[in-house]
Parts: sequence; C-alpha cells; structure tokens
Amino acid sequence: MAEIQIKQVTKTFGRFDAVLDLDLELEDGTFVALLGPSGCGKSTTMNMLSGLLEPTRGEILFDGAVVNKLKPGDRNIGFVFQNYAIFTHMSAFDNIAFGLRVRKQPADEIREEVHQVARLLGIENMLDRRTTDLSVNDLQKVAIGRSMITKPGIFLLDEPFSNLDARFRSYMRAELKKLQRELSQTMIYVTHDQVEAMSMAEKIAIMDRGQLQQYGTPDEVYNQPANRFVAGFVGSTMMNFVPTTLDRSGGDLVLTMPLADARPLTVHNRDGGDDSDSFTMGIRSEHIELVDPGSETASLRGTVTLLESLGPRNIVHLSSDGYLLRVTVPPTVRPRVGEAVGLELDARRVHVFADASGTALA
Amino acid sequence: MKALLTSLRVLLIAAVLCVFLFPVYWTVTMAFKPADEWTPTSGKTYWLPDHPTLDNFRRIFGGTPGGSDSFLVSTPINATDSIVTSLITSILGTLLALSVGTFAAYGISRYRAGGKMLGFSILQLRMFPPIAVIIPVLFLWTYLHLFDTHAGLILIYGAVTFPFVVWLMKSFFDEVPREISEAAIVDGCSQFGAFRKSVLPLVKGGLATTALFVFILNWSDFLIALVLSGNNVVTAPVFLSQITSAATGEEFGSRAALGVILITPPMLLSILIQKHLVRGLTFGAIKR
Repeated sequence: MAEIQIKQVTKTFGRFDAVLDLDLELEDGTFVALLGPSGCGKSTTMNMLSGLLEPTRGEILFDGAVVNKLKPGDRNIGFVFQNYAIFTHMSAFDNIAFGLRVRKQPADEIREEVHQVARLLGIENMLDRRTTDLSVNDLQKVAIGRSMITKPGIFLLDEPFSNLDARFRSYMRAELKKLQRELSQTMIYVTHDQVEAMSMAEKIAIMDRGQLQQYGTPDEVYNQPANRFVAGFVGSTMMNFVPTTLDRSGGDLVLTMPLADARPLTVHNRDGGDDSDSFTMGIRSEHIELVDPGSETASLRGTVTLLESLGPRNIVHLSSDGYLLRVTVPPTVRPRVGEAVGLELDARRVHVFADASGTALA
Repeated sequence: MKALLTSLRVLLIAAVLCVFLFPVYWTVTMAFKPADEWTPTSGKTYWLPDHPTLDNFRRIFGGTPGGSDSFLVSTPINATDSIVTSLITSILGTLLALSVGTFAAYGISRYRAGGKMLGFSILQLRMFPPIAVIIPVLFLWTYLHLFDTHAGLILIYGAVTFPFVVWLMKSFFDEVPREISEAAIVDGCSQFGAFRKSVLPLVKGGLATTALFVFILNWSDFLIALVLSGNNVVTAPVFLSQITSAATGEEFGSRAALGVILITPPMLLSILIQKHLVRGLTFGAIKR
C-alpha cells in the first residue's frame, strides 16, 4: 500500500524524450491504467517506477520518500511483464517462491505462502509442474503469483494480458480487479487497449509522445476529453471530427460546419479555448441520431456507405461532403447503402477543439 | 524416378561417410597391427590386422613387449605425462576462455558493452590463424617466463578460444528476453544474482556446447604447443609426433594407438552432454 507521486519526471534516451515533464499523483490503493499508443512512454514510466530505469530529471516519491536511487528489490513492488518472464528452468512452485528465497525466508514459511497465493489464483494443483508444460493462461497466473508473493505495496503490470486469448483475457480482467480489491494495493496497469483501461481502472492516465494528456476517471476521459488526442483515442468507435467555425456574437456558441447542406448548430455557452482561428467539432457516434434528410433538426446530411451489424447495435458509416462519419444506432435501424439521411447532433454532447493546440474548449 | 533419387542420395551419403570415416578406420585398425603390417613392405596391404596385438599400446606406456623384436632398438617411452599435460592445459584453458568469455558475451549482449565495435573486434581476432602471430607470442612468452610452462599454454589456449566463446555465448544470451533478468532484479536479486539465478540456467545447454567445442579445439592443438613448449611441458599431440625408433623409423602403430586414446575424451564428453548439444533449448520463457 503506497501513494505515488511523480514530479516533473523526464527520461531521455540520447536525444529522444521518452517521457517529458510527467506530473502524476496516484492515491494509495487506486487502480490506475496508463493508456496510450505504443511509443507513448508508458512502459518507460513503468520502468522508472520499478527502478529498472532512473529518471533523467525529476523525482519519484513513494509515500513521500524519494525513491529515485532505490534499487528495484528495495522498492517493495511487484512487476508482471507482458511476456511473463517465467523462469522456465524452474517449476511453478519455484517460480512463485523466487522472491521469498532471495529474501532468505525459512522454507516452511515459503511453502505456506506459496500455497496461499496459488490457492488465491486457482493454480494450487499445478505447483509441481514444469513451467514448460503449462498453458499460456496458467503461465500468466504463475507470473502474477510470483510478483504478489512478496506482498508488494505497489503492483505494476505491463500489458499483462495482451498475449492471452480474448475469453481468458476478460476473465482475467475481472479476476485482477477482484484481487486488487482484496489486497487493496496501488495497482498500475499499462495498456494500449482502451477497453481494458475503461473496464478495470478507477483512474486513467492517457499519454502520448511522452506527455500526459489527461488524468481522470474513465467517465471523465470519455465524456470530457481534455484534448483532441484523448477524444480520438478513447472510445471503441472513433469520435467523429468535422471542421467548424465559431460564432459567439449572440451569447450562445453557434457552430457552422463548412459542409454542403449543413445547418448552424447552437450549443450551450462555452468559453475558454485560445486564439486559434480554426476549430474542429467532435461528437461520439452514439450522440448522433438518424433523422429524415429534410428534417429541421438535422444539422448535417449524408449518404450511407456501409452498415456494420454488431449484434446489440449497428454502426452506420456515412459520407457527408467527403467526411466519413459513424453513427451508432439500435439493431432495428438498418438504412440501405446509398440512402440519404439527416443527422441530428446532441448539442450537449458536442465537443469543440482548437486546431492549433488541440485542447478542448471548456 | 523417386526410388532412383533416393538410392542416389543414399549412395552420395555413403561416399561422403567413407571419406570422413576412413581416417578413423585406418587409425583404429593400425593401432592393433604388429610392426610388420604397418606398411605394405611385404607386398601386401593390411586392411585389417592379420595378427591383432596390443603391443602398440604397451609400447606407448613404457612397455617393452615380450616376444617381439620390433622395439629392441628403441628407448622406452611413456605417454602418460603428455596425456596429463594435455588434460591440464586444455581443461584449464577452456575454463579460462569460458569464464572470461561468458561475462564478456553477457555484457555485449545485454548492455551493448563497448558499443558496436567491441564484439566485432573480438571476432576479428579469429580472422587470421593464431599461428600467424605465434613467433611474436613466443618472444613475449619467453620474456614473461611463460615458455615451456603449463601456465603459458593455458593462457594462450584461453586467449585463442576466447572469441569463439564470446560469439557463441552472445548468440545464446541474445535469445534470453531481457525481462527474465529484470524480473529477478525486481524480486530483489543483484545484477550478478539475476545473471546467475535466472539467465545462466537458461543458457546452460549453450554453455555446455561451447565448452565442448572449445575443449576439442584446445585438446587437438598441435602447432601452438609445438612452438610454445620445449622438453618440460609436452602435450599429447606433440608427443605423438615424436614417436620414432631407430628400428622402424616412423612408428605408425604406436602413434595410432595414442591417437585412439586421444579420441576418447572428446567422444565421452559429447556423449555425456549430448542432451544439451541439441539447440532445442527451452528459451520458452516467451510464447510469441
């Protein structure tokens, strides 16, 4: 159990800034996901937390104490690697017992604790097996067991489930969440899969090109994206983006999209933003409704180009004056390809981003 | 057609095998031939010994075989010391190359020690035959009082085989994922502890293969030992070349007998570690 502070941390490799001026405070006992595309600096951040890498600048504090110079073994952390890093020359038991043996605990205590951990993970019957005989799924459980045996205050997981098959992955997600609640540890989970981050984490830190983009609850990053990158990265169906001009003269904010057949859209008053003179409107696919093309409420019009049937919902792909838009509709709505439709945008759910900085207008 | 191809292939394999196995066959049969069957002076080539005998083996271990007058004019010789010398110098030389080379290989593989050039410059040491520089080494060794000593041979064997160890072991270390040692470090091991407990056990097959390879190189060396040693430290191959007698000149039989003995240690070793020789090592830590 530990609280983590990352203060102005930068990690430079040669001339490349893998992580730049990262500021992050993680409360004790939270489940935090580090989310971002590959190369965004999330694994580097993880390696600095574990002590495998030392920050070039800045400080990392565990429970208020600077740990920059502390060796990984002295940080009281558990680390689960993407490729498990199982010691294949040892049995499952010896793998789990490894950390305790390094700490020179008595053999009978080790046996007891290994069995306890194995019971928790449901792998007690595999302890004597050679690790080369275990399935990928069980190997990952052994890896988790090995990192939790020392009862670390901080649990670091680097894309631990990306090699598992889809069904087992969702099962393990639930198991891990349960485990975290039982142990009430601070858990940091690196992933590039936003579904994984949204479904498990209490807080999500989204990174891109070495910099923190937003830190908030899944609800916040989904519904109030801080900038265009977050808006585009989070959400299983990508947010729709259309260029727009702003008119604040009447008190309310009026968006005019320079698209054929577009009508101005009045959204509730927002200010902020910057001096940028070009803007982008963003709206999620589920916040658009298909209406009659002649309808008064339709802000945009388009032609259906593709229909994706996903079972519980359909996704309609549309072309509006050359812009690709996606709309999520109930499974019963099945427009034909080539059909002209109107799009009614939920004005409360419209986001506006300044093009120069990418930041959202508050 | 297919049957023809198959039989052609079998024939080809048989022909190649004949070429490779003939010297072994000739050495083994020669070791058991009495002196008058060594050469076809009597007008007959002896493919197998007519009168198999152990005289040759007795001869190289100081015996004066009874009944036979072939060795009457020869001074007794004994190969025991030279075999012991060969064992000492090649085993210790191998251990020296292995211990230094393995650490070097780990440093190059994991930490890119020495940048891009170090690995290459080590390999470069093998781009000319060691014998090409043996004369300067002879001067150096004489100056350092290493000429004709066990230590001198051990050092040169270690140095000459060191590049092999580095490059073989580097290729094995390259296949061990970095996370293996990182996991051990996070669990509280030191860098060296992580190397010893998590990485080294995974490459032990490679280590055994390398050890055998280097041992055979050292064990079969003739030229280096010939130049860098005198009468004090004589290795078995050098001893073998010196077996001659006034009565028979070149003692083919006795040399063959010693040859048969010298084949044995590498053969025994390879049988002992053959399960490791297969490259199918369990680098299964990563399931890709």
